[in-house]
Amino acid sequence: MSISRFFSNKRFMTLLLLVSGCVVFFASAIPAAAQGDTITIGVVMPISGREGKPGQYQKEGIDLAIKQINDKGGLVVNKKKYQIKEVFYDDGSDSAKSASLAERAMSSDNATAVIGGYSTALGEAESVMPDRYKTPWLTAGAAATSIFSHGYKYTFGTLTPILVLGSTTAEFLGSLVDQGKLKKGLKIALAVENTDHGIDYVNGIQDWISKHPGYFTVVFNEKFELGGTDFSGLLQKVKASRADIFLSDAHLQDYITMQRQYLQAGMHHQMISYGARGPETNARQALGDGVNYIFAGVWWSDKLPYPQIKQFVNDYKQFTGHDPDAWYAATAYEAMRILAQAIQQAGSLDKTKIRDALAKAELKNSLVPGQVLKFGPNGQTGYPFVVVQNQPGGKVEIVYPKGSATGAPIAPTP
Amino acid sequence: MNLIDYLDPLVSAVLLAGIYAAMSIGMTVIYGVMKIVNLAHAGFMMMGAYFVYELFERFHMNPILGASLALPAFFIFGVVIYLLFVQWLPKSDQPTLSSLLLMFGFWLVLQNVALLIWKNEDRSIFTPLTFAVIRLGPVTIAKVRLVVFTAAIISVIVLQVVLRKSWFGRAVRALIQNPYAARIAGVDDRRTAMLSFGVGTAFAGFAGGLLALLYSFSPDFGRPFLLRSFVIIVLGGLESFSGVALGALILALVETFSIMVPFIDASYQPAITYGLLVVVLLVLPKGVAGLLEKKWRVA
Amino acid sequence: MKGLSFRFGNLEAILSLLVLAAFLVFPAFHPSADVMRVLFTTFVWTITGIAWNIVGGFAGQVSFGFAVFYGLGAYAAALLINAGRSPYFAFAGAAGVAVLASFLVGLPTFRLRGPYFAIATIGVTEAVRVLMSNFSFTGGASGYRINEYGEFRQSEHYYQALVILACAVAISAWIAKSRFGLALRAIKQDQDAAAQLGVNPYAFKLWAHAIAAGLTGIAGALHARYNIYIDPSGGPGGVFAFTTGISILLLPVIGGIGTVWGPVLGGAVFGIVEERLTIKFSQIHLLLYGALLIIIVLLEPDGLVGLLHRVVNLFRRRREDSGGPGADEVLWGRSRLEGREL
Repeated sequence: MSISRFFSNKRFMTLLLLVSGCVVFFASAIPAAAQGDTITIGVVMPISGREGKPGQYQKEGIDLAIKQINDKGGLVVNKKKYQIKEVFYDDGSDSAKSASLAERAMSSDNATAVIGGYSTALGEAESVMPDRYKTPWLTAGAAATSIFSHGYKYTFGTLTPILVLGSTTAEFLGSLVDQGKLKKGLKIALAVENTDHGIDYVNGIQDWISKHPGYFTVVFNEKFELGGTDFSGLLQKVKASRADIFLSDAHLQDYITMQRQYLQAGMHHQMISYGARGPETNARQALGDGVNYIFAGVWWSDKLPYPQIKQFVNDYKQFTGHDPDAWYAATAYEAMRILAQAIQQAGSLDKTKIRDALAKAELKNSLVPGQVLKFGPNGQTGYPFVVVQNQPGGKVEIVYPKGSATGAPIAPTP
Repeated sequence: MNLIDYLDPLVSAVLLAGIYAAMSIGMTVIYGVMKIVNLAHAGFMMMGAYFVYELFERFHMNPILGASLALPAFFIFGVVIYLLFVQWLPKSDQPTLSSLLLMFGFWLVLQNVALLIWKNEDRSIFTPLTFAVIRLGPVTIAKVRLVVFTAAIISVIVLQVVLRKSWFGRAVRALIQNPYAARIAGVDDRRTAMLSFGVGTAFAGFAGGLLALLYSFSPDFGRPFLLRSFVIIVLGGLESFSGVALGALILALVETFSIMVPFIDASYQPAITYGLLVVVLLVLPKGVAGLLEKKWRVA
Repeated sequence: MKGLSFRFGNLEAILSLLVLAAFLVFPAFHPSADVMRVLFTTFVWTITGIAWNIVGGFAGQVSFGFAVFYGLGAYAAALLINAGRSPYFAFAGAAGVAVLASFLVGLPTFRLRGPYFAIATIGVTEAVRVLMSNFSFTGGASGYRINEYGEFRQSEHYYQALVILACAVAISAWIAKSRFGLALRAIKQDQDAAAQLGVNPYAFKLWAHAIAAGLTGIAGALHARYNIYIDPSGGPGGVFAFTTGISILLLPVIGGIGTVWGPVLGGAVFGIVEERLTIKFSQIHLLLYGALLIIIVLLEPDGLVGLLHRVVNLFRRRREDSGGPGADEVLWGRSRLEGREL
């Protein structure tokens, strides 16, 4: 090593020192957001990446709720008016980033509460942070029970657990048997994603079947890899099982891919469902009439016969320029609304008090089926599902339960 | 399951192999001549899908015709990229990290550009053909798969003929077999590299266009097919064109039938594919085709 | 010799100790939780980058499979902590599991050369990812969670990461100047010639791989303990994801491959870019990375270290080669240094 080289190294080291010093100081010099008469709400959603589409819808729902609250003068807390300030971060469907952005919102942005976590993996990742920073957190898009089974105190979810989706699905099929549309003793094939989402779904269905013997038998039960491109092999296996009913539980993209290959394999079942997916416009664009007769258990539908639904659909359309697509925007909108109500009830910006208020909160005239949104002891809500079916002519009708039905179920699939 | 149940998957595996061959052959050409592991292949495939999609949506062009148009369009695209960027890479007879990273960088850029243009939505090409099926006794064949298979096989055969008969093909094969000797014998390696990169890109775009008929696609489209292309060209021995066809068939059969194995969940299937990649590398580093022909000099 | 330009001299040792001291007292100034988090994450990434550089930079064996060790380390630590062990025991366990895995991966794959090795590591990562997302005892594809009760102390995580980072730098610097490192560089330049000189390439590669895997495993454990939830998916953020392996490899490439300080510098830049820029420009962050890669590969293959050299040389008004072996070297098989000007 030459002497000159050594000297250049020394300079290099000085530079390195300078650079690292600057980095540290600049990083720490970033000021915390100024607190005026505003309440900061953090929103961490994926609007890019795999889950970008539903994440976008959920963000729109929250944006709309915040705009409506602010337009009405904001929140009244302890006789003082506050405007809501939204701090939004796109996590790019990256679970690690999702957790750190939630943490960022709770720590350096000092958000009063955070709404985030569309889809289970991102929700799981974010759900660690609320108790760490004693900041209430609501998810409007993660329904896995596992998030709410760790004794966390600050996590809340506006989606009913998937277990209920499974049992509602089976219940709906059972009602078709009772009506004589389906025969008793039909064989069911289950192909679900290999996450808690899928497992909960299967458990819900099997629970119901074991409690109601004679209705159905499960002849095929397998899991598939999330985010696959080719399900034709799996579908061949389903075909070989000679089942009468095909039930799957899949994310939006997997649903579209699988249904396409299902049709290309020339398959046919008396009933077919992809769990909570089915009525999305994206799917109809991609598959055309290929989505007809698929039924889905959903947390919300714009067909629900409540007056507030029409209002919401109008407002949303005005705000975004498009109709609400499936349930995504509604549950997020409700998450923001119940949070706003809880903040007012708490009468304080103290996060623990807001948390306590959320645990007791009851949102009346809610958009969700049953019109009441409240949280159970573990923070997860429990309103009923409705079953919708895609019908010819691009229609989506609520077909179950009877009370809110807007059309008759078409069964079996012609 | 009885025997008939295996006939259906067999047919679909063979049909799948056709498109697999078309999507991997471009990668082989580029790897063979330039020793570049082209990670941007996935990006080119994705762009090909959107190319066909746009032609179909705007001008109602037949997607197969659109995919054929992708060949010249992506050839030019590839040549331009070669001239602007790839040719400045350090020359080497072994794959370099820099070439790999350059192509990876391209893939990221392409993905992001697509994201800005087409947004993060699933698109798909939807024709009356999409869900049409032919039933031959117990076997069901999707018409669109048959069409795609035919187009893919024709393109692969045409490329084979070009590589066998033309000056360009002779130069390519000379460079693959012995770059030193080829250069001494007067093969213009730069020009050949440029054309090879164009051809490789063209086939990626073409295959992407065909894949768009089978799958819905988003800017992230292509990633799983990239990994499959790896497996295929490794199975084929990395630089052998006939090996690609063989590799494609093997992968398609393994993928389809590994799911059919009872007692193993379908979710384990990708592990079998990637495990196969590692095992083949260890046991048959020259690929399955390498068993038949020995042309890889001992490194 | 070019590769030795960044030897760990006394002066550098003193200066780096000063930097370390600065980071040690930094939490005393009560920085915001967010800054601490950014630093913590940056430390963790930098550890993986340094580890990768030992195999990929010094020994020239490019691996896409470091996500395997990162993920296994995360899971091992999580399982141990949930079994009631102390975090330090868990870190050791994570390193142990990762080292074990490195032998399982390395024993067969280091028989391969060049592109075969690199491609094999892709296959290994993907296969391990799929297997891990199907094992029910780790929660399958739904991920796994650490149940650690007691108050969360951010500074504890910070210091743990900092200490391990310091150890990683020390190990890397030791390797760079030791006979071991010399042997690795010989293997990188010409494996056959190295073998003739009495260096057993296979064994040396295995050991380098084991050290690197151990460090990466601890990094995974740090990540898991901080984030509590481990995502095994193939999407971004998943510990076994292909993109995680790529991120690990990006740090040395950005900073300067095959040098002690390259990965450290790369880690610092990556941490800042990842945390600050991608939040502001989330719509174009892939474009940013892509363009950065293209620019580095084509204009400054020696990364930031090479760039700094140029700047320093500009000061000295003397033209000198930029130091450090760069990405333009053939990193698989024999080394070919071709002068290349744009």
